[in-house]
Amino acid sequence: MARFRITSLLLAALPALLLLPACTPPDAPPAALTITDDLGREVALARLPRRIVTLAPSLTEVVFAAGAGSTVAGVTPADDFPAAVDTLPRFSALPMDFEAIAALRPDLALATDQVNNPRDAETLHTLGIPTVFLSFRSLEDIYRGIRHVGAWLGTADQAEAAADSLERLAQGLQAATRTMQDRPLVLFLIGDDTLYAFGRDSYIHALIELAGGRSATGDLETQAPILDDEFVLIANPEVIIGAFGPDYDPATLLEKHPTWSSLDAVRQGRVYSLDPDLVLRPGPRLLEAGRQMAALLHPGVLVEAP
Amino acid sequence: MRVRLFVFGVTALFLLSLIVAVAIGSESLAFGEVLRVLRYRLTGGLGAAPDQTTDLIVWQLRLPRVLLALAVGGGLSIIGVAMQALVRNPLADPYILGISSGASAGASLFYLGFLPPLLSATLSMPLAAFLGGLLSISVVYLIARQGNTVSVTRLLLAGVAMSALMAALTSFVTFASPDTDRLRAVLFWLLGSLDGTTWARLPLPAATAVLGLLLLLVLARPLDAFLIGEEPAFNLGVPVEMTKRLLILLSALVTGVLVASSGAIGFVGLIVPHAVRSFVGVSHRRVIPLSFLTGALFLLWADLAAHVLLRGQILPVGIITALCGVPFFLFLLRRNAYRFGP
Repeated sequence: MARFRITSLLLAALPALLLLPACTPPDAPPAALTITDDLGREVALARLPRRIVTLAPSLTEVVFAAGAGSTVAGVTPADDFPAAVDTLPRFSALPMDFEAIAALRPDLALATDQVNNPRDAETLHTLGIPTVFLSFRSLEDIYRGIRHVGAWLGTADQAEAAADSLERLAQGLQAATRTMQDRPLVLFLIGDDTLYAFGRDSYIHALIELAGGRSATGDLETQAPILDDEFVLIANPEVIIGAFGPDYDPATLLEKHPTWSSLDAVRQGRVYSLDPDLVLRPGPRLLEAGRQMAALLHPGVLVEAP
Repeated sequence: MRVRLFVFGVTALFLLSLIVAVAIGSESLAFGEVLRVLRYRLTGGLGAAPDQTTDLIVWQLRLPRVLLALAVGGGLSIIGVAMQALVRNPLADPYILGISSGASAGASLFYLGFLPPLLSATLSMPLAAFLGGLLSISVVYLIARQGNTVSVTRLLLAGVAMSALMAALTSFVTFASPDTDRLRAVLFWLLGSLDGTTWARLPLPAATAVLGLLLLLVLARPLDAFLIGEEPAFNLGVPVEMTKRLLILLSALVTGVLVASSGAIGFVGLIVPHAVRSFVGVSHRRVIPLSFLTGALFLLWADLAAHVLLRGQILPVGIITALCGVPFFLFLLRRNAYRFGP
């Protein structure tokens, strides 16, 4: 008898599971503003967003640069700039904590295809949170991103001014280094153990150019290559710049890669390290990273701080 | 008496868990407000309208995720039962025998653009996962077979080997892919996660799990016969070869669809049938439906743990099931005299 009961119990429960009403997000009011984002997605906004969440630290920096920092309602645990984010609520971003985001009740989420999974946008959409993707592959993308964010969040003038000032900064760098004959070959590294680097389609190569150098990895097909020692030995960079933090001891790099003792960069003592947040986040602080790079590549050259 | 107690206990726990699972998550919500959402939604608008944020969290995030956890947990458990009957060994499980990693490889290959979309976009990935899983289990099964019996050593070793091969394939295409931004998505399939489930993504895995349940219930008698051995089963009138092929196909299908929707979540199909058998014996008419219920429950609680264990950080649920499952697997492996049932 027990058999019969288990099966019938289960069969009775099944339709209930299947018949649970499928649900669509609430009807959106007529759009006041339609945004085409960097992935070509059209996103309709009912009104000017007042509460936004930024799904990656670089986006937070862009929003603050665009003068819309007061709209940021929550950030990821990795956010640490500007200081105003210290008091903001946090939500886990990898994997995305949708509950925490829903609890913040934002009316817009900013995402970047370099960090966030496009699949997450679908889930945010069902929560009634429109998601806009930004893509930063060049310095121009960053100026444009700041202007766009300003236009979307109602701070177009401030964003314009911020983007202009970054562009002027880039022009200033370029003016100082353009005519230089001595342009050292620079190897930029993200990791010192596993040699993560930037391949094609990255802003880093333009930044190295602006700083008066030549990038050793700009022609690599992969976007996020892992280099091997052979590649580095053959490239023989004159300068190595790592994103290992300002307190990095260059001797560590030689310990991990003993063969590199023959490299020009190592023999001339030109192994440097920058603050990773400055140079790895595609945001408004990149030009500061560029300025620091220029100072390392051409110690005599003076580039004015913003 | 023991059977009834177990059935009663599991059913009561099931209903209780459903309520607990929508009431608890990474955000803490007022319990009364959660109940208000459920009443308002399930009755089509009776009572006071609930708080909007609570409604979003409970109705759009937790409930779809809970239902997917039930479907995936239940589905993987009964596939565990099917695999164990097929190879007449309780150490079998879709994850251990490489179906899951085959399905992951298929899904990743499709996702990264190495396989053409054969059907609509939503069906192509489960199809790719199904084919990957089918390839994997076929190889493992053919290697493990010796005449009419299946060698346990070969089975487990072949499963480990195919898992490693398929994981290597997944890694290979991940690195070969020019699109670095998709790496994270592939990581999702390797670790398994129920996060981000929406109502729209629910019907396919739920229907597949239920289909698997119904088909296996129909096959309950042949599965019982399998436990005695293939020859006795044949003498009892069971179409042995056909049943075996059906079981392999069904396992690859259910696992493939579930992996495409939630990634490779391991060891559910190993722990659950074992626990169920120790309560209700080996009869598949009991083991199958009760494994479905218990497995659904298990994954529900594992997912809950994944959300509340670390404050401010969600874990992929596959980590939790592996942390529970591997010690259990090693324990079973140590008890070398293990046979079905008490």
